[in-house]
Amino acid sequence: MIRFDQVSKRYADGRQALSEVSFEVAPGEMVFITGHSGAGKSTLLKLIALVERPSRGVLTLDGKNLGKVPPRGIPALRRRLGMVFQDHRLLLDRSVAANVELPLVIAGLTLAERQRRVRAALELVGLLQYEKQPPQRLSTGEQQRVGIARAIVARPEVLIADEPTGNLDPQLSTEIMQIFASFQQAGTTVLVASHDLTLLKRMKKRTVVLDHGHLVDDVPAEQVA
Amino acid sequence: MSGSRRHTAPNRRSRFAVWLEHHGWSLKASVLRLFGQRPLGTIMTMAVLGFALALPLSLWLLLGNARMLSQALGEGQSVGVFLHPQATQSAAETLAAELRQRPEIAAVNLKSPAQGLTELSAVQGFGDALAALDQNPLPWVLLVEPRSGLDAARIAALATSLRVLPAVDLVQDDGAFRQRMHALLALGTRALLLLAGLLGLAMLLVVGNTVRMDIRGRADEIAVLQLAGASPRFVRRPYLYAGAWYGLGAGLIAVALMAVLEWLLAAPAAQLAASYGGDMALRGLATGLLLTVPVAAAVLGWIGARLVGTRRLGGAVPR
Repeated sequence: MIRFDQVSKRYADGRQALSEVSFEVAPGEMVFITGHSGAGKSTLLKLIALVERPSRGVLTLDGKNLGKVPPRGIPALRRRLGMVFQDHRLLLDRSVAANVELPLVIAGLTLAERQRRVRAALELVGLLQYEKQPPQRLSTGEQQRVGIARAIVARPEVLIADEPTGNLDPQLSTEIMQIFASFQQAGTTVLVASHDLTLLKRMKKRTVVLDHGHLVDDVPAEQVA
Repeated sequence: MSGSRRHTAPNRRSRFAVWLEHHGWSLKASVLRLFGQRPLGTIMTMAVLGFALALPLSLWLLLGNARMLSQALGEGQSVGVFLHPQATQSAAETLAAELRQRPEIAAVNLKSPAQGLTELSAVQGFGDALAALDQNPLPWVLLVEPRSGLDAARIAALATSLRVLPAVDLVQDDGAFRQRMHALLALGTRALLLLAGLLGLAMLLVVGNTVRMDIRGRADEIAVLQLAGASPRFVRRPYLYAGAWYGLGAGLIAVALMAVLEWLLAAPAAQLAASYGGDMALRGLATGLLLTVPVAAAVLGWIGARLVGTRRLGGAVPR
């Protein structure tokens, strides 16, 4: 369970990114966070990933106050998350498989187990045939799918994605979102920040709407149209 | 994916096994970065550090041989005690036995007038002059070897105490030469230590700066690792290995340079010794020292990388 309780975030430069945002995400739920550029979508995800801390309010993950996690506790919490970025953040000096393998190395799995899981994750996103290729030989959509494979390979409890389809055409965007939906069906909590309203309507998932840092709407899945 | 929502935890593996796995991965990553991705730059950096390490080693080699040379030239600390010409063999032997009892004396060798004459006759130009003498004018001589480790001041004090003995006519102690030689060797040793310290510091700085540049160039990778839940130690570890590799490589290059230097100097040193009628050979650096240099350099490299890595990669927040 992820719970935002009157969470505000003001950056050091004085910019108010979030203002008293309150909502909950149940385990296994898939939620879209939407809004215009600067609405606070990325900040909200950064708070969950412990890249930023709330200025006010309480943000909890399974009852644990993320605002009070000491620095040494951050890595362990991050290992419970999977993250997908708009720009993939793939490491170009190593193969697709080596990129996907990173979270498993961090988790301390054996080489054999890592190889098995990497292949399974790549198969899931349809890229097993590229496992030995460097990422730059892949198309943008394929690179994004590698990023997704890396995010889910360690079986995270929560998957967060910041504009994962920002650089993709509508068909690829839908494919990516369907992959996220399949993780949700497997029990993973999924939060996706996206400003693509057409895509959100097509996916028909709960949608939280932000505007200048304020939560202005929280639309249940069945009311998305 | 399986239906399990728990994240991947190495719960069936011991912490030690995970630790080993992490170190293995970091070791491999550091080798690939240094030798797989930019081998020329790595070797150049190691060579610069290796030449720097070879400088104090060369000085050490020179000092060691200078010390050996000074001993071979008679500085080996024997004090010549010339007895009065009328002193008998019995008196000489009695005095020698008394001197051997002194704690500051290691040995006393007796040289008879006949032995002295024979040695003097062998010196070119003296033969005819000595043959013209009616009798042997040389006295009994005691060659007194001070105990090993005695400093120049205590040897001078020993010589003074010998001069006042009734049977003694003359004491020949080349104290000035010995003191000068000791002072020179002490100066050289001090210079060596200072140079080694400065170059060790330089090595820390060079490795630290190289690792700092590497960290800057890998900001994206570091951010990905941190966001994936890597601990600061995990992120830092490949850079520590890189620092150790730089040091080890530099140490091996320095040892190789010293081997070449010794080989190049061996023949000229032997020729020089032969011209003085000796058979002294250049003494190389001790095997133990040569084995220690790469290990010590690797430790220095590791420390340099750690100093930078701890400062730059201490936090868990991606930069």
